[in-house]
This record gives sequence, C-alpha cells and structure tokens, in this order.
Amino acid sequence: MFRWNRVWQWTLIVVLVLVVLAPTALAEDPAKKPNFAFIAGVNDPFYITMQRGAQQAADLMGVNLIVQIPETWNATVQTPIIDAMLSRGDIDFMFLAPVDKEAMIEPLKRVVDAGIPMLTVDTFIGDGDYANGPVTFPLSYIGSDNVEGGMIAARALAEALGGKGKVYVQNVKPGISTTDQREEGFKKGIAEAPGMELVGVDYNDDDAGKGQAQTAAVLQREPELAGIFGTNVFSAQAAANAVKNAGLSGKVKVVAFDATEFAIQMLKEGTVDLVIAQKPAEMGFFAVEMGMAYLHGYVDIPKRIPTGYAVITRDNMDDPEISKWFYTGQSD
Amino acid sequence: MAAITETQDMSTATTSRQMLLRMVSRVWAWLFLGMLVAVFSVSAPGFFTVRSFQNIGINASETLIVALGQTFVIIAGGIDLSVGFVMGLVSVVAAVVMRALNLAGYPQGLVLLVGVVAGLIIGFIPGLINGLLIARLKAPPFIATLGMLGIAKCFAFLLSGGQTVGRQPDIVRLLGNSYFIYVAPNEPVTFFNPPPGADLRSVLGVMTLPLLIMIITAIVSHFVLAHTRFGQHTYALGGSRDASLRAGIDVDLHTMKLYIVCALLASLGGLVWTMRFNSGSPIAGEALMLNSVAAVVIGGASLFGGEGKVMGTVVGAFIMAVLYTGLVMLNVPPFWQFGAVGVIIIMAVLVDQAQAGIARR
Repeated sequence: MFRWNRVWQWTLIVVLVLVVLAPTALAEDPAKKPNFAFIAGVNDPFYITMQRGAQQAADLMGVNLIVQIPETWNATVQTPIIDAMLSRGDIDFMFLAPVDKEAMIEPLKRVVDAGIPMLTVDTFIGDGDYANGPVTFPLSYIGSDNVEGGMIAARALAEALGGKGKVYVQNVKPGISTTDQREEGFKKGIAEAPGMELVGVDYNDDDAGKGQAQTAAVLQREPELAGIFGTNVFSAQAAANAVKNAGLSGKVKVVAFDATEFAIQMLKEGTVDLVIAQKPAEMGFFAVEMGMAYLHGYVDIPKRIPTGYAVITRDNMDDPEISKWFYTGQSD
Repeated sequence: MAAITETQDMSTATTSRQMLLRMVSRVWAWLFLGMLVAVFSVSAPGFFTVRSFQNIGINASETLIVALGQTFVIIAGGIDLSVGFVMGLVSVVAAVVMRALNLAGYPQGLVLLVGVVAGLIIGFIPGLINGLLIARLKAPPFIATLGMLGIAKCFAFLLSGGQTVGRQPDIVRLLGNSYFIYVAPNEPVTFFNPPPGADLRSVLGVMTLPLLIMIITAIVSHFVLAHTRFGQHTYALGGSRDASLRAGIDVDLHTMKLYIVCALLASLGGLVWTMRFNSGSPIAGEALMLNSVAAVVIGGASLFGGEGKVMGTVVGAFIMAVLYTGLVMLNVPPFWQFGAVGVIIIMAVLVDQAQAGIARR
C-alpha cells in the first residue's frame, strides 16, 4: 500500500529538479541565419499579433527570430532579459517595446555599446524623436501616432453622441508613452467639441478586473455618463464588461482601443460601438524588414515610421480588408 | 522492553545514510546552484563568461539587498511585505529631490548626498511604523506590512505623479553604470572610463558600484547575524519569543530594530535602482517583493523563524537570477519560465521538511 514517506519525498524532489530543467530541452538551436531578438512589453494579444507579423517577415527574409516576453510591464523585469540576450553574444539586431521611457534608456545604451543595432516598436524612450530629441541612439521608432489615435476616439464618440455628453477614460498607468499620448489626444479631441465634458480618468494598472470596478463606480456616480474610452486592450475590456454588467449596453457608448477578440465580440454584441485597431503585425513586419535592410548596408532608415489605424464598426467588421487587422490571441 | 531500548538508542544512533541525507539537505541549495550553472554553461553559448556572470550579479543586486533585509525579519519569525514599495518610494523620493536640486544648478556631489540622505530618512519611517505596529500593538506582521505596502505605494505614486522621475544629474547614472576597471585587448587597463578610442564591444568592464554595494551588504549582514549579539537575539526571537523575554532580551525594541533594518535595506535597494536606471520609479520594486521572500526561503530559512543564514539568502537570490538569465539565453518559451521559480520554492520547502524529518529522529 502506498505510504508517503521520506523516500517518496526525495523522489519528488528529484522529479521536480528534472521538471525545472526539462524546458532546457525546448531551447532552440541557433541557426546560421541572422539572429533578431524581439522583446515584447508584456504578454497580451497586441504583442502576440506583432510577433506574428515579425515572424512572417522573418520567414520571408531568412531571419531567426528570438522572442522573449516579460512577465509584467516593469523595467526591473525587462532589463535582465535584455542583458541575457546581450550575453548570448550572437544577436545581430534587436527590436523591442521599452516599458519605461526614462528607466530603459541606460539598459538600452548597453545594447548599442555591444554593437547591436536596435529600434523600438510600439513604445519609445526619451520623447520618441530619435532625430532631434534627447535620445537619438535607436535606429527608429515604429508605431502608431497615438495622439492621433486618441483624437480619432474622441471624434468618434462626439459623433455618436451628437456632440453633447459626459465621457470618461479608462487608462492603464501614467508613464507609458503610448497610452499617455492616447489620453492627450482624446482630451484634445474632446476640447474641440464644446458640448462634451470629460468627467474623469482612472488608471487600472493594466488589470481588467480593477478597471471594471473603477468603471462600475463611475457608472454609479455619474448617471448621465454617455461615453467611455478604453485606451488599451485591458482598459477596453474593463469598460465594456462594466457597461454590460450594469445593463447599459447601447446606452453608454464605448470606444475601445485595440482589436482583441474580446473587443470584437463586444462590438458584435453592441456593448462596444467603435474599435480602433492599431496594426501591430505591420509594426513587427517593418521592424524585421528594417533590421535586414540595415544589416545589408541600407542604413538610412527613417527615424520615425508611423503605422496606421483601422477604425472598425459594426458596419464594416465583416469586410476582410478590415477583419484582417483583428488581433488574434494565438501565435501560430 | 524492546520499545524502551529503541527510544533510548534513536536519539544517539545516526546511520551513515541519515548523516548523508542531513548533509545533502544543508547544501542542496548550493548543489542546485552549481548544477544550474553547469547545465547552462554547457547548453547556452555565452553563459560561462565573466561578462555574463557579472550581469547576473548586477541584475540581482537590488533583489539580494532587499532579501538581506528580509532575512533578518524572517529569522525572527516575521515577514515584511512592504519592501517592494518602500524601495519604490525611496527611489522616487531620491529622484525627485535630485531632479529639483539638479535643475536648480547645485553641484552634483551635493545633490547626490542630499538625495541619498533624503531617501534613507524617508525609508526609515515605514520601518519604524512597521516595528511599532508589530511590536507594540502586536499586529501580525503579514497584515501590518501588507497595510504599509499600500501606504508606501500611495506616497510613491503621489510624489512621482505615477510617472518615472528623470532629469537626474549625470553623477547618478555614472555611479550606477560605470565600471571601476576596464580591460581591453592590446590596451592598458583603465579605471572609471573605458580606454579612449577602443571598440566598446571588446572592452570588458569589471565591478560596478551596485555590485560592490551588494557584496558589502552581504558581508556586513553575515557578520551581524553570525557574530554579534544583535544576530544572536534575532535567532532567539525566532526560536522562542517567551524564552527570549525570560533571557532578558528587550523583545519589543529588538523587533522594531529588525523592521527598521529591513526598511533601510529596502531603501538601499531603491537607491541602487535609481542609480542603475538613472530615474526614480514607484514600481521599481514591485516585482521584487515576493522574490525577496523566495530567496530567503530557498536559502534555507524557515518562515516560522529561528533558522536561516545570509549565505543561504545569497544562494537563493542567485539561483533565481541564474535561472532567469539562463532560461532567456536558451530562449525557453516565456510561459515555461513563469513556473520555474515556483517549482524551486516548492522544492525548498520539501527539502526543508525532509531535513526536519531526519532531525526529528
């Protein structure tokens, strides 16, 4: 009969040791193709979609794409990953989404000192102007114009509400270049419509649950609230869920940034009225392209490569030209 | 008759198998670290280099410094969950002060001094409050420090506006990132600056200030815990509070001192972070909070108190640092990495239990 004794205890310990080491069997063989390192900001459908686009370009151009994803959106977590990549000694090009526009400057200088060309995707360091700004060592900043994105959201809400109404913003955390700019653009757009009033901005720490609670509270205290702008994947999710749970689908208009499957589902159901999709696959594809160009001597890479938006509504969501921009959560 | 004889014999007889098991339990963390290093050195190109080992050490510096503070508290039977945000708060305080003084044009040395002192003074306060709550008001450490976590986080975010605080004087990033010695092929060794004109790729920097601070902190902590009365009292507290009282130890005062030490070390971690990242961030220590406890536990301390060693915490912190770096260098898919530290903690607990089982016989 089985008895849990010290022999089994030690056996379990040995098994666990093997379990810990087992993933090393999954380690990749460095190929003779150039090695491009891609370090995402955090694990979410946006960056998975970016990886898809990057992998597509990598397959086309004969690049070995090495992808690592930090556990949380935090400079203390992203930096050791960058340093580990440098220690490999065989990286030819690096592109990443820096998670802090100030704190990541010193770690990224180490990349340049190691002789590895790099560019940033989606987010930036310094002020994003790598030609004339305080930070100029990255080759390029490939990403959406997030101020414009915020303005698109504001104008869309204004139109949906007939130019009048109270609106609220669900944001992530201050200090992220992209979402800060979306908030800035949104405020600019709201200011253009005198009948619109911004009643508040909350920061959910990229936690959809927290955002939902915050939104629910605002829905309670502002019975006249007419529109909500969710500035990223989890913020839009939080806003949509809260509106739905309060039974206000359709009465409170929601504009969602980032076209996750969830946002698209909410669009179909009617809880979300507009989804602004960035083009992360395009960012990833361009990043690999520019890397290959640079390595082949075409060094005049534009310091800023803006990528566009697809504005998705219930009317156009079935058009394949639009639906191809949905973020799919799975990497192939 | 046979039963009595058995009991008498059991306390003195130790078979060689038991002795071997006991020895292995004591050094298992070292063995595991050695095994990890060996495996990664063989399978990950670039791992077994001075540069790579130094980077592992540098990236572990804040975690280890904070974990050393945690060691004191855990050995005494407590825990401090606020360390991550005390670290963030101090990072922000120092950065805000230094930014203001820097923009006002004061000399860099003075700015640095004021920033560091301000950071340490502010970092002292959560330690004091934790100590008072736990020693005087008899609050459970888990709850009291969890509350302090929220308060520290609040002030860190308020002071920084939630943003990372930049515009530091140059001395900050130089202290945090420059090496003391630079070695380059065909060039004489230089100090504090790389050899002029050398190709930076072939230059190897040796020893940075954060690394030195980490090493000194570890040595001092070891000395205090192993060779001073303060250390003895700490172990006594963890062993038995009542026995300590009867032995004449001022338990309340000592408890307060421990939480102050822990907060000051978290503050030191925050200052090191500010230097390395040339900025202050409220979330600087968010990821380190649980890792500091993990390092102490993996190193052999018991969460019930009374046991633990500085060297254990050092090994624990390095096991995690080596794991993180090695798995990335091997390009193990990220999701698999998430569980690695968790598995090791479970192993540490099992080994601890197995060892306790041997000791009981």
